[in-house]
Amino acid sequence: MNRKPFQLLTGAIVAAALAGSAIAQGDPIVIGVPTGLSGANSTVAPAVVQSSELAVAEINAEGGILGREVRLEVADDESSAAGAQRAFDDLIFDRNVDAIISMETSAARNAGLPIVERGQVPYIYTSLYEGQSCNQYLYANGAVPQQMVGPIVDQFMNNDGAKRFFLVGSDYAFGRGMLEFTRNYIEQAGGEVVAEEYQPINATDWTTVITQMRRSQPDAVIMSTAGGAPNVTLQRQYKAAGMEALVGNLSVDELTAQAMGEDAEGIYISASYLTQIDTDRNRDFLARMKEKFGDDYRMPNDLSAPQYDAIYLYKAAIEMAGTTDTDAVIDALDDVSFTGPRGTVQMNHQRHAPLTMRLGRVQADGSVEVVEVFENVNPGDQCPDPS
Amino acid sequence: MYPAPRLLPAVSNHAGHAMIYLVLDAVTTAAILFVITSGLLIIFGVMKIINFAHAGFLTVGGYVALVATDLEINPWLGFPLALIVGVALGIVIERLILRYLYDRPLDAILATWGLGIIMIQLVTIYFGREVQFTDRPISGAVDIIGAVYSEYRLWMIAFALAFAAAMWALQHGTRLGLQTRAVIMNEPLARSLGINSVKVRLITFAFGAGLACLAGALIVPLSSLNPNLGIPWLVSAFMLVLVAGNSFASLGLACVVLGTAQVVISTYTNPVIGNLTLPVLGALLLRIRPKGFALE
Repeated sequence: MNRKPFQLLTGAIVAAALAGSAIAQGDPIVIGVPTGLSGANSTVAPAVVQSSELAVAEINAEGGILGREVRLEVADDESSAAGAQRAFDDLIFDRNVDAIISMETSAARNAGLPIVERGQVPYIYTSLYEGQSCNQYLYANGAVPQQMVGPIVDQFMNNDGAKRFFLVGSDYAFGRGMLEFTRNYIEQAGGEVVAEEYQPINATDWTTVITQMRRSQPDAVIMSTAGGAPNVTLQRQYKAAGMEALVGNLSVDELTAQAMGEDAEGIYISASYLTQIDTDRNRDFLARMKEKFGDDYRMPNDLSAPQYDAIYLYKAAIEMAGTTDTDAVIDALDDVSFTGPRGTVQMNHQRHAPLTMRLGRVQADGSVEVVEVFENVNPGDQCPDPS
Repeated sequence: MYPAPRLLPAVSNHAGHAMIYLVLDAVTTAAILFVITSGLLIIFGVMKIINFAHAGFLTVGGYVALVATDLEINPWLGFPLALIVGVALGIVIERLILRYLYDRPLDAILATWGLGIIMIQLVTIYFGREVQFTDRPISGAVDIIGAVYSEYRLWMIAFALAFAAAMWALQHGTRLGLQTRAVIMNEPLARSLGINSVKVRLITFAFGAGLACLAGALIVPLSSLNPNLGIPWLVSAFMLVLVAGNSFASLGLACVVLGTAQVVISTYTNPVIGNLTLPVLGALLLRIRPKGFALE
């Protein structure tokens, strides 16, 4: 019996199947994205989801990772610790994600970490944050105080002659961590911190804080609230009160600044990503975002662009390791780099990334003008003791 | 490259003005509390139920301001619009749900609580979770006796006085007000005198809901509009109603006393402790004097 035609036929079918769907082999690689779709982060979370979707769509169009399709699982962490516990549990133990990559509040990250430890998956945290979160499963590619505070305080002290600073923030890890660093930085530079005030994360009335500002007459105010709604409330009440001291904001993103419009005019921000970054890679990224999302397009910002980078960094780490195995990926994440809209990013400094920082100033129409660029700012000692 | 910003405010702002600011902060805080709580008090006064959907009505009112912005009408018109929407919503809810729960106060609590969640979720589904921006009738600061102060906060005093005047006129100047007071004092007796207490309840709930929606629209320019707009105010509003009983004069007194305490403590200690003032003082007061600020 001549078997040849039959073998040829099977071979052809297999070949056709392979060619038709280059990424049909194996289970998909699943990336969990817990983020604050509700609560304080709800202004920025949709942009974070869009960044993730664009990265995944691009990766799948190019054949996936190691020939496997990539899939996203998004969960709402409600910008809070309790919400994050539910979201992480759900993603890691029910939806069996291979990694967590997300922009979240510090409260949510801290609540999620023990669950990540139990589930043993890599976790790339993509938000700017107060620093010094160290865990064997954790990497961070957003900015830390060492990278954000300097540009703003230096500008105020050296260019504008400011001496007296008023610090105000939301009462949680990010607010307090950022301002503690800011206070030390200002005092070392010879400035004076006249007051440091906090309000609960969902505070709606900042009047008494603003009255204290009036009394202490600072040259500059440094704000570090939770991103989104608290930023809007504080900045709006500050402007309505007729305050005119310089404002530096460590947590306002470009999207929120734009939405605030004239209320945000004159605020200084310090960011690793601004839409005004003048590179082909960034213009290309913005064009792809607009093309993919059309009318639903959310402007990318400093809290969403790192999310895009992080998914590509995860891809590069899997390809270097040749597997999605957690330990191998964690080892590889230190060595891989990705050149994206923010420039080249590598998390090789105690699990944090040196970043090129931009000092921006919000204009009357809400757009952010780049005042100065600081190349490759070192994140400093974040996790000096390897875990 | 940039013109050096003025480091000191142009208007003099010396520490001598601290007292003026303290008074302004206290009065405007009391005014905001009064506006927020009025709708809740009116419903509690007549119906003896705490409307747990209050935060939902505040949120709906806030989004009426957003609709007004989208329709590009004058932002001042958003306020009467919010009142109308609130009244309409109140009528529907009273007729469909609350009417059947008057004899079951515990069930009414659960029903209004659930209703609040449903209202906030519907707003979320339709408008999205994120912070939205509305046109504001007023922004910026004015100079008042040498102090620079937020103009809109000063307007809140006028709004609170208007609320109080409207309430007093309704209660004391109309037949409905007379019937309402009769129902508050002794409902069975009022009914036996031919007062239609079902109608009084319907109108009261609709009016309370309308005031809550209006309050929601009024606080939007001070805060940021998102579906949780009403929630942070809820604890303060409940506490104020508990200490005020069912009289608007008592509510005014409670707002001034507790609002001032909150401002003074926030100013001289810190705002985190300041935020605890109202619930803590309210609870202490109820412990010492169960009638709270009720005058009779």
